[in-house]
Amino acid sequence: MNKAAGGPVEVVHLSGCSFSSSGSKQSGASLTCMPSPAIGTGGGGVGGLEGWRPDRALVRVQDLTPDKADQLIWLRARVHTSRAKGKQCFLVLRQQQFNVQALVAVGDRASKQMVKFAANITKESIVDVEASVRKVEQKIESCSQQDVELHIERIFVVSQAEPRLPLQLEDAVRPDGEGEEEGRATVNQDTKLDNRVIDLRTTTSQAIFRLQSGVCQLFRDTLTKKGFVEIQTPKIISAASEGGANVFTVSYFKTSAYLAQSPQLYKQMCICADFDKVFCVGPVFRAEDSNTHRHLTEFVGLDIEMAFSYHYHEVIESITDTMVQIFKGLRDNFQTEIQTVNKQFPSEPFKFLEPTLRLEYTEGVAMLREAGVEMGDEDDLRSEHLARTYDTDFYVLDKYPLAVRPFYTMPDPNDLKYSNSYDMFMRGEEILSGAQRIHDAQLLTERATHHQIDLEKIKSYIDSFRYGAPPHGGGGIGLERVCMLYLGLHNVRQTSMFPRDPKRLTP
Amino acid sequence: VPMYKVKPISGGHIETDLPTCMYKLPNIHAQQGNSCTSEHALQNGEVDPAVRALEARQDEIMRKLHELKAAVEGLAKTVTTPDADLDLTVSSSLSSHSCSSATFKGVTDLDTVLGKDLGALRDIVINANPAQPPLSLLVLHSLLSQRYRVLSTVHVHSSVTSVPPQLLSCLGPRHADSYARQMFQLGFTLIWKDVPKLQMKFSVQNMCPIEGEANVARFLFKLLAPYPSDPALATLVDSWVDTAFFQLAEGSAKERSAVLRALNSALGRNPWLAGPEFSLADIACYCCVQQSGSASAAPANVQRWIKSCENLGHFSPAKLLLQ
Repeated sequence: MNKAAGGPVEVVHLSGCSFSSSGSKQSGASLTCMPSPAIGTGGGGVGGLEGWRPDRALVRVQDLTPDKADQLIWLRARVHTSRAKGKQCFLVLRQQQFNVQALVAVGDRASKQMVKFAANITKESIVDVEASVRKVEQKIESCSQQDVELHIERIFVVSQAEPRLPLQLEDAVRPDGEGEEEGRATVNQDTKLDNRVIDLRTTTSQAIFRLQSGVCQLFRDTLTKKGFVEIQTPKIISAASEGGANVFTVSYFKTSAYLAQSPQLYKQMCICADFDKVFCVGPVFRAEDSNTHRHLTEFVGLDIEMAFSYHYHEVIESITDTMVQIFKGLRDNFQTEIQTVNKQFPSEPFKFLEPTLRLEYTEGVAMLREAGVEMGDEDDLRSEHLARTYDTDFYVLDKYPLAVRPFYTMPDPNDLKYSNSYDMFMRGEEILSGAQRIHDAQLLTERATHHQIDLEKIKSYIDSFRYGAPPHGGGGIGLERVCMLYLGLHNVRQTSMFPRDPKRLTP
Repeated sequence: VPMYKVKPISGGHIETDLPTCMYKLPNIHAQQGNSCTSEHALQNGEVDPAVRALEARQDEIMRKLHELKAAVEGLAKTVTTPDADLDLTVSSSLSSHSCSSATFKGVTDLDTVLGKDLGALRDIVINANPAQPPLSLLVLHSLLSQRYRVLSTVHVHSSVTSVPPQLLSCLGPRHADSYARQMFQLGFTLIWKDVPKLQMKFSVQNMCPIEGEANVARFLFKLLAPYPSDPALATLVDSWVDTAFFQLAEGSAKERSAVLRALNSALGRNPWLAGPEFSLADIACYCCVQQSGSASAAPANVQRWIKSCENLGHFSPAKLLLQ
């Protein structure tokens, strides 16, 4: 095995196997791997020790279409599968979510040993391939590039994978039901998460995380267009923001500190500092010992806070409009990704209304009472009822009772039993909890005392409202949960790249 | 030395009380407590009951004058609009309770028709395709809004990419109190959605969806007034509604001209399609005539009837959409 040393561009790990054509019948039919330590022989081989950079353009698998027919191209991809059949070897070469069929056939371009070599390349190895593109009469259903296949003339191994993989990608992509029916294996979630590097290579995972990147992008773009400023808030803080129970403690030199449960306090301080409309994207740490399908101990929070002019509904409208723009952006630009995910995890497309449907908490209760439900799975039943009536998977529930909300929530001036707070739901699960915040230091102190919170611990928080604070409100969503619910998946670990929960700290 | 002496006419020095205040004005900044100094009643100040009675009589006279004026204007318009009891463009400026007797004889009670109000806003949800806006339902919506406190909203469903702006504002401007949902008797939610056929959902626990503009129109009409009690007349109304939505809206050019001829002969005998009273038949046929574009080429009686309909005022949302 050779490693190219010092070469800044092409680090090529040559396979041990090497052979050359034996008195080729045609001239110029060069083949196969380079003999070890040698520098490129004949027909322009891949560079050796000098890190020589060949003048070669690599084609992307997704660009292999019939208009490239009969062209000779180079490409680098992973070997997804390789199967020898007599004098031929069929390979499927994969690049992220695209794959293409490739063929090494004994003939004037390839020898029997080359076919054998190709068949023995381990799965997941990265190869460089020179091939000609050929049109096919019958569509190749199993590949993303269905109209062409590659006829390989030269093949090099760039990085070899170990022969025993901890999991097979085809198994990881197989829908659960199909596995049971056909008696084939599927991979359970823990195995996937333990070997995340390989699991993330599947088409489904690639699609999920590209979509997630899109959500972040749309969130930033929509808010920036609305005049919001992006801020970064500290994550090591001195006092627990949401309540003492679910917070991680870290040792901080001679004392200890906490990991922020939300950027709440700092968002509000920014509003008091005249930033008017802010948002932040950053990690959120909740030490909740819940092992459910939708809780993580660390997740990415997308938080919004804004000052409003006359009524906190301005805040609700701003947030719901942002969500609708995100949904529209995903619907219009990420259909490929959504379809890819649906192949493994079928679900109904996500439906929403513009402007967003807004109901009041008391209406929700009355609705359930009409349906004969007093207590229990209120969220699910209410959402199902609303989905049937309005055909939407996203809505806002406004005016929650004051007793169940945090101390900094502004009470409803018309009815002190209720508050100016709201929750937003996607497919029946809560994704955002928000409210108008109390911006008067006096009232805030009263409410904190009522909730039996130690005023000393939140002194600097209350102080920020003493020097003129505008009325404001906001809310925050979890990136992973929003993606999970948009795609109709059932476990938030599927949308978190390296999830953290009470039982998992690695990878 | 004095010239002559006269006996003093008045005895001694008379004390005269000279006023220090030139004139008094009521304090325009007076609060509730200062009512003793103000001469006119503000909110609930003490005032001479005679003045108050006088004011009350004046208000009453003004109100009667207003009504008289409206009636006279209405009568003036009824020269062209046959048999309408009152011109509704004017009556809509009067208080809401006088309207209910205006258009339709017979009154419906919401609770009787829709069932007891259980605390959640009773919301009529209509899913319509933006390619075929339901004009008759917009007319009925405007009638409903005059009769009840209706919370109207328009949404665009995710199955539709975009919708022209006039379809977003077709239910009129947003109500000032729309943030307080419990203040309304009825909800009217119009959702522009990619549906093959217009669909209405109401109280999904108890009622199945209603499909087709004609059927939804019948449902909405019954919230305003009951169908005529005479079964023959009720059937006539229904048959005109069906004619409108099947032959006029969806029929061939031949069918349409046949309908126009039938309309013409019916309107030659009566001011409205179902006799002397304005009914759902007129709403349905007017909208379908306009939507099919046959209005300009219509025969004389139909033209006259079209003008009468427009005089009634509630057809303006439909007309706006057609532009």
